[in-house]
Amino acid sequence: MRVHPLTGLAVAGSTAVITTAAASLPLSLAVVAAALGVSGVTGTLRRLLPAAAAVLVPLAMSLLMVHGLAFPEGSTVLAAWGPARITSEGLAFAAERASLLSAVVLVLLAWSFTVSIPDLVAVLSSRGVRGRLGFVAASTLTLLPAIADRAVRIRQAQESRGLVVRRGLLHKVAAFRLQAVPLVLSLVDDAGTRAAALEARGFSSTGPRTNYRVVPDPAGQRLLRAVLVLAAAAAVAARLWPAGTGG
Amino acid sequence: MSSSSLTLPSPAPAAARRRRLLEILGALAIAGTYVYLVLNQPADITGGPGSVPALIALSGFLLGAVLLIVAVLPTLPASTVVLIPVALVLNIVLGQFVGSTLVPFYLDAIGTVLIAVLAGPAAGAATGALSSIVWSFFNPTVLPFAAGAALIGCLAGLAARYGLFRRFYLAPVAGFVTGIIGGVVSAPVAAFVFGGTSGVATGAIVSAFRSMGDSLLAAITKQALISDPMDKAIVFTAVAVLVYALPRRTRLQFPFVRRHRVLAGRAAEPEASVQETAAPNAPQVP
Repeated sequence: MRVHPLTGLAVAGSTAVITTAAASLPLSLAVVAAALGVSGVTGTLRRLLPAAAAVLVPLAMSLLMVHGLAFPEGSTVLAAWGPARITSEGLAFAAERASLLSAVVLVLLAWSFTVSIPDLVAVLSSRGVRGRLGFVAASTLTLLPAIADRAVRIRQAQESRGLVVRRGLLHKVAAFRLQAVPLVLSLVDDAGTRAAALEARGFSSTGPRTNYRVVPDPAGQRLLRAVLVLAAAAAVAARLWPAGTGG
Repeated sequence: MSSSSLTLPSPAPAAARRRRLLEILGALAIAGTYVYLVLNQPADITGGPGSVPALIALSGFLLGAVLLIVAVLPTLPASTVVLIPVALVLNIVLGQFVGSTLVPFYLDAIGTVLIAVLAGPAAGAATGALSSIVWSFFNPTVLPFAAGAALIGCLAGLAARYGLFRRFYLAPVAGFVTGIIGGVVSAPVAAFVFGGTSGVATGAIVSAFRSMGDSLLAAITKQALISDPMDKAIVFTAVAVLVYALPRRTRLQFPFVRRHRVLAGRAAEPEASVQETAAPNAPQVP
């Protein structure tokens, strides 16, 4: 069965919200395992793991440093050097936060690595806010490799004209200017041309549109999305309600 | 460049009022969430799982950012909308470049501030919020900072509107002040959603303040006040360098730059009239 992009987003988003609301270590670990499992089944694990590690490793190390070394509220001191005290409460708090954030990051990344970008763009490319949002998202995702490539070519061109980055702040600022100005200038210029072309094709028109690519959206998946959104809202309400009444 | 349809009717005043209402609601959601989090300083942040303040911070700031996007995005002319993806990519590409060669700052707001200077506060705010949302496709941890990024775009646009980019030495000052405000507003997100910071170097600073007995929010706010103003001062200076290096023709194709005389130099009357004949209906970005 083909999964509608928004259904996938609803599954990932509601899982992330419910995990945050529950804030329980076993559930977080279960979600981590499930996200990795889904990613493995769909064959995206190889790309997912480096992307997730780039985000999660510094975050986890930072959490460990902040709460592991300094947790004034902790009472069970395991070790202490001067002002730094390692407490078991601090380590537990860091582990809990790290697992919760890993669960949320992995489940959202699992969606963004499995979703079909053309389908997502087709779903978003209606008129109004969604159309413009779809344009911005799709345009960014396609421009990113092209512009990164252009930045490399500009650097090579400047180097062939004798650009050598020497030590010292002023030299580096000058080198930055030599590379950034041509890049920004060409991008702003391109954008102007693109605006005229898009406008000629009715980008701002508010009339009805037809899509070249039709993404099937069965009634079952629409129902599932509604249920998931309600479940996420219920989980948030259930967490906030006792807090609101109990202080 | 032509920016709006010449044949279709302009949006009704009712729609404009609804958008203004959405903008105000979005700003109120962000301000209200911040005030609630700071006044109530949820004590359970380090005592328990602390998911209540995380949920409040997430929902309030995200709701505000989404309302701002819904209010602003349809009103932007096409010439500004096509610049937003460019700004998003610049945030990433220049941020990486500077991060790897220049100084140990991340400078991931260059594109947002550039759009704000060229197209105004509304476009800057929308670009900041969208930047976080699209970037979260690869890195979901930036999503909660959407409101802070929108605020930085908006403040940069206001600085340009009131002429702080006309004098070169005022740009870093404006960036410094923007960094203070942005850092203070983003600190509750870092404290309540992440329980810390996302980098090891910033984590070390937070850890130092915590070991002196500060609360988590106080420690992260102090860390933000150390890093963010310097970071934004550099970003604003870099944008000023870029904007003044652009050719006059490119700079003056933006109605916001012409109308509020954002940049120093001769008054733009002759160019403005040439541009007006080229694009008779170019709407003015507020």
